[in-house]
Amino acid sequence: MYDAVSIEKLTTPTVTLVNNDFAMDAMSASSSQGMPGVRIVPESVPCESSIMEEIDAGVSAAMDDIIAALTIPLTGEEKSPRVVEVEKPSKIIFKGNLEEVNRFFYQRGWTDGLPVIPPTEEVVAEMLTGTDLPPDHMVGKIIPRSGKATIEKIAINAVMAGALPTTMPLLIAGVEAILDPRSAFGTWQVSTGSWAPFWIINGPVRHDLNINSGSGALSPGNIANATIGRAMQLIIKNIGGARPGIEDMGVIGNPGKYTMVIAENEEESPWEPLHVEHGFKKEDSAATLMFCNSINHMFSYGTDAKAILSTAIYNVKPARSTEWLSSFLIIPSFAKILAKEGWGKKEIKAFISENATVPYYRYLHYLRYTSVSRDGVPGKVPKNMPINPEDPIRLIEDPDTIMIFVAGGPGNFIGMFEWAGFKEVNFLTKKLNLPANWESLVEKYKGLKPTYARY
Amino acid sequence: MNNSQSNEQYEVLSPWADVDPVPLKGISPRVASLAGKKIGLLSNRKPAAGPILAVVEKKLKERYPTVETSWYEALKISVPQVETEGKAAFEKWVENSDAIITAVGD
Repeated sequence: MYDAVSIEKLTTPTVTLVNNDFAMDAMSASSSQGMPGVRIVPESVPCESSIMEEIDAGVSAAMDDIIAALTIPLTGEEKSPRVVEVEKPSKIIFKGNLEEVNRFFYQRGWTDGLPVIPPTEEVVAEMLTGTDLPPDHMVGKIIPRSGKATIEKIAINAVMAGALPTTMPLLIAGVEAILDPRSAFGTWQVSTGSWAPFWIINGPVRHDLNINSGSGALSPGNIANATIGRAMQLIIKNIGGARPGIEDMGVIGNPGKYTMVIAENEEESPWEPLHVEHGFKKEDSAATLMFCNSINHMFSYGTDAKAILSTAIYNVKPARSTEWLSSFLIIPSFAKILAKEGWGKKEIKAFISENATVPYYRYLHYLRYTSVSRDGVPGKVPKNMPINPEDPIRLIEDPDTIMIFVAGGPGNFIGMFEWAGFKEVNFLTKKLNLPANWESLVEKYKGLKPTYARY
Repeated sequence: MNNSQSNEQYEVLSPWADVDPVPLKGISPRVASLAGKKIGLLSNRKPAAGPILAVVEKKLKERYPTVETSWYEALKISVPQVETEGKAAFEKWVENSDAIITAVGD
């Protein structure tokens, strides 16, 4: 819809065809750009259809509306849209007991479906001790709603998620990451691909916050891993306004949108840490963002280097776009074996890129490019496609789009994460800025950890 | 939730962000008829966008034989054209069109 708004701003009339179920999303998008009157024609063509009969029927049914949208004169409202008063809620939004607060927040669409901690002034004030920035400092505006991400709003959502004040530097860095235009956040957060922000944490803050990098790091049970991602999602939903099925059109959805946070096990890695690879100092603390929609737990073909790398190259899935990126989680024991046999990150990336291939006929775009029914746009077949269906095609052309990090517990698995690409850069890492009181704050909260009784 | 603790009252702050009012703008005047007009077809590169617009083009020309069409295909999926290196070419194409039909393919 952003293109439709650009076209109208250039004084050319336009109409946009959208699937019926995307009409709300289209209207939110054009309103957020200040042009609520952009004309759309909802149509019945199934999403991304490759069946010409369906497309023909859907377009035929919409033709009268398409022509009308370009020729029927504008209404007064379309010429000069009325300004809608923005709600200015009072500082205290609700008063009630725990159950009532939770029901109120849930009915407003402000939770992730799980109970939240009531964000009272007192608890939010404690959360704000996690940063030196003032509550009214605005980190930026989060799309699609362009909500103001002030430090106070970040803290309120962090409280709701059950996060500790020591997570504030991470959450602020997280907001900075999604606000970075290179992240393409506006695309991936609401994409049909159900991409979930996945945060890899490096540096001393891993220990300050007890972020799990070992066994079950992506499983529930650790307050930092659980609440950092959850707080970021509430920030995205309540500040950015991306709501499932309205603006966030993820087809399948993604449990990673509850939380998806892991620390790198730098101490057990034979290679330089991820944030150092991305230009930061080892003593810096940093968060690396990716928009991930799948985690593959690959049972390794063996524990020697050849078997580990074979597992990687034979399991990159062909139903992926060339614009996707891949990350490989190497468990510490495998990382040490690979390093011992002379494999550095650079060599592993090059090997995977060179050898992760499938026959062309198995590749995502094979039928799309060769189907007679899909040749609507001339020149759509990329020049580098193989001639014969049996010829191999590389699934990851650029080794620099591969990320490797070390985490996970003892075992015989490799993790592979596939994720959407950024703009201009392959990776996005943000440094954390810690408040002056950091040591005392860490001292106050670091001891909070579960003690599992033996049975 | 019936114990005494659940009746503790909480005055809670709103997590919903404030927004600045967005300056609103109207849309452009329409054309009187499509006959003889230059109609642009903008595909966002999603798989169905091209085929949908190809059918639109065919049916448009059936109804208005004097219509001229021109295509523009997005450089990247889901990235606004004015944020790409093709901005100038896109804007020139828009200005050379009397009206534009876009399909998002979803």
